[in-house]
Amino acid sequence: MRGPDVAWYLGVAAFLFATGTLGVLLRRSPLIVLLSLEIMLNGGNLALITFSRLHGEAAGQIFALAVMAVAAAEVVVGLGLIVAIAQKRLDLDVDKLSFLRG
Amino acid sequence: MVVAAWICLVAPLAAALLITLLGTNLSRRGAGYIATASVLGSFTAAVVVLANLWSQSPEARSHPSTVWEWLTAGSFHVGLRILVDPLSVFMMLIVSGVGFLIVAYSIGYMEGDDEERRYFAYMALFVFSMLLLVQAGNLVILLAGWGLVGLSSYLLIGFWHDRPAAVAAAKKAFIMNAIGDATMALAFFLLIQHRQTLNFPDAFAVGPGHGWLVNLVALGLLGGAVAKSAQIPLQTWLPDAMEGPTPVSALIHAATMVTAGVYLIVRTHAVFEQAPRVEELAAGLGAGTLLVAGLIALVQTDIKRVIAYSTMSQIGYMFLGAGLGAYGNAMFHLMTHAFFKALLFLAAGVVIHALAGEQDIRKLAGVGRLLPVTRISFLIGSLALIGVPPLAGFFSKDSIIAAELARGWYGYVLFVAALIGTFLTGLYTWRLFLIVFTGEPSAFVREHLMGRSHAYGQEGAHVDDASPHGHERHEHKGEGPFWMMAPVLVLAVLSVIGGWIQFAPLWDPVSTWLDGVAPPLATPSGSQEAVASFLAVALGLAGIGIAYLIYGSRKLEAPRIAWAQTLLERKFYFDEAYDLAFYRPAVALAQSLTRWIEGPIIGGSIKELATGVREAGLGTGRLQTGLVRTYAFAIAASVAVITIVFVAVR
Repeated sequence: MRGPDVAWYLGVAAFLFATGTLGVLLRRSPLIVLLSLEIMLNGGNLALITFSRLHGEAAGQIFALAVMAVAAAEVVVGLGLIVAIAQKRLDLDVDKLSFLRG
Repeated sequence: MVVAAWICLVAPLAAALLITLLGTNLSRRGAGYIATASVLGSFTAAVVVLANLWSQSPEARSHPSTVWEWLTAGSFHVGLRILVDPLSVFMMLIVSGVGFLIVAYSIGYMEGDDEERRYFAYMALFVFSMLLLVQAGNLVILLAGWGLVGLSSYLLIGFWHDRPAAVAAAKKAFIMNAIGDATMALAFFLLIQHRQTLNFPDAFAVGPGHGWLVNLVALGLLGGAVAKSAQIPLQTWLPDAMEGPTPVSALIHAATMVTAGVYLIVRTHAVFEQAPRVEELAAGLGAGTLLVAGLIALVQTDIKRVIAYSTMSQIGYMFLGAGLGAYGNAMFHLMTHAFFKALLFLAAGVVIHALAGEQDIRKLAGVGRLLPVTRISFLIGSLALIGVPPLAGFFSKDSIIAAELARGWYGYVLFVAALIGTFLTGLYTWRLFLIVFTGEPSAFVREHLMGRSHAYGQEGAHVDDASPHGHERHEHKGEGPFWMMAPVLVLAVLSVIGGWIQFAPLWDPVSTWLDGVAPPLATPSGSQEAVASFLAVALGLAGIGIAYLIYGSRKLEAPRIAWAQTLLERKFYFDEAYDLAFYRPAVALAQSLTRWIEGPIIGGSIKELATGVREAGLGTGRLQTGLVRTYAFAIAASVAVITIVFVAVR
C-alpha cells in the first residue's frame, strides 16, 4: 500500500469528525450547524474509504457515495428550512428556535 | 291437507307484513279488512284440515311436514317443521275462529284511533304467533312461537304507548313471561340432550326410569306454562295487561296466549306422566289460582279486571284438568271458555266504547237498559261462565270437576276447591252483571247516553280530557257499529250451543278426537259426572242467589271485614311481596356494588392509572427542551460513553 499509513487517514477522519461535532455543539447559527454536519459526514466518509482500501473491498466506497447523496439531500432540506425561517424574520439562532419544548 | 295447514299458518303473517310494507298507502279501514280477511282465511284453511283429518282413520291422524332444514348435524335435524294432528287442529280452529271474530270486532272498536294500521299489523302477528305455537312440529319452532306470543302481547298491551301505565303493564307481562320462557328453554335443552331429537312426539317420549331428569324437565315446562297462563305464582301480569285495548284483552284471554300453557301441558303429557309429583303440582297450582282469582274478583271495581280474574280462575280449572290427566276435558273447557270469555270481553268493550272509555263499574251502573242487546249477550256469557245448563260452561267445567273424583284423595281435595270455585264464580260474575246491567242508570251513564251528543272514547280517557288518540265525537246510533255487534252476537250463539258437542259420558266426540294424541288418565264414570254436575250447578246458582240478595234486592248486607277487604283489594299482596323479595334486594345489591365496588375499586383504579400515565408524560416532557444543541450533545455524549465502554470492556 502506497502513501501514508492507515493510522494517518483515520487520524484525519477523526479530526474532521471531532471538528464537525464541536461545530454542531457550540455554534448557534443554523447555517454553521449544517456546515459542521457536512464536515462530520465527510469525516465518516474518509474512514469508510480508508477501511475499504485496507480490506480491498468496494463496499465501503459505495457507502461513501450513498452518504454523499444523502448529505446533498439533507442540505437541500436544511437550507430550505433556513430560508423559510429567514423569511419569517425569526432569529437565526438554534437556541431561540425552541418552540418544541415539552 | 298439509298445504292447507301451511296456508293457515302464514296467512296472518302475510297480512302483518303487507300492512307494514304498504304503510300509509293503505287506508285505515283497509288494514282492518286485510287483517280480518287473513284470519278468516286461516280459519277456512283450518276447517279444510279438520275435514281431511276427520276422514282418516284415528291411527293415521299425525302429519308432520318440513319445508326447510335449517340445521343438520348427523342424525340431528332442526327444520321448519309443523305437525298436523287432532290436538293442533283443535287449537288452530279455536285460535283462528275466535281470533277472526275479535279482529273483526276491532274494526269497529278501533275506528278513529291514530294508529289503526299498527294495531292491525300487531293483531295479525299475534294470531300468527299463536298458530305457530300450536302447529309447531319441533321444540325450536314451539319455542319460537312461544317467544313471539310474548312479544306480540308486549306490543299490544303497550299499544297506547304514551300512557305510562300501559307501558309498565307491557313490560311487566314481558318480564313475567320471560321467566317462564327461561325455565322452558332449559327444559327443552335437557330434553334435546336426552332424546337427541327435537321432533314431536318423539322428543317427549322420555320413558320410565329417569327420575330427576324427567322431574326437572316437567318443572321447567310447568314454569313456562304457569307464566304464559298467568297461574300462581306468576299471575300478576294478567290484571295489569288490561291496559291494552279491550279486543286485545279478549284475544289474550280467549284465543291466544293464556291458553298456551294448557296446550303445552297436554302436548307434553308424556313427560308429565313420568313425573306424577309435578303433575299434581300443576293441578294444585290450578286449584290455588282458581280460588285466589275468584276471591280477588269479588272486590274489583274495574269491569275488565273482574273478567280478567275470572279468566285466571277458569284457566285454573284447565290446569286442574290437565294436571289430573283429563286432557280432553281440559281442552274442551279451553274451547268453551274461548267462546264465552271473548263474548264477555267484547260485550264489556261495547259498554266501554259507548261510555267514553270508562271502566269503573260504579260509574257504569245501570247501563243495561240503554244497551239491551249487550245486556242479553253479557247475560249469556255470564251464565255460560257460571256453568248454568244448557250453556257452554256447564258441559265443560263439570267434566273437569268430575275428573277429580276419579283420582284418589288428592283428587277429593281439589274437588272441594273446584266446587268452592264454582260458588265464587257465581258470586263475582253475578255481582258484575247486576251492578253494571241492572237497576237505574247512574248519573254518569245518563250524562253520556241520554244527552244530546255522545262520544266514543278511548278506555280510561274521559271525553273532557283532550285524548291523544281522540276518537271522534259522533252521534250515537244503536248500541255500536255493525262490526262490533255482529261478532258479539255470533259469540253469544256459540256460548249457548258451543258446549253441546260434548256431554260426557253420553256423547264425547271431543275427548275421542283427542284420545289419539293424549289418552286421558282419568275418566269419570257416569255417576261421578252426575254428582259433580249437580253440586257444581247448585253451588253456582247459590252464588247467583247470594249475589242477588246483596246487589240486586239488597236484602243482605255484604259482610264488611276490613282486613279481608284490604287483602283482596291488594290482590293478596303478590306485587308487594315480589317487590320486597326481588326488586328491593336487587336495587340494594346494585347500590351497594356501586358504592363499595364500582366507585372505589373499579373507578378508583382507572383514575389512578390515568393519573400515573399523565404524571409520567409530564415528567418525560420536561426532557424535551426544544434546544437542538442539547439533543446533539446528548447524542454525542452517549456515543462517547458507549465507545469508551466498548473499548474498556474489550
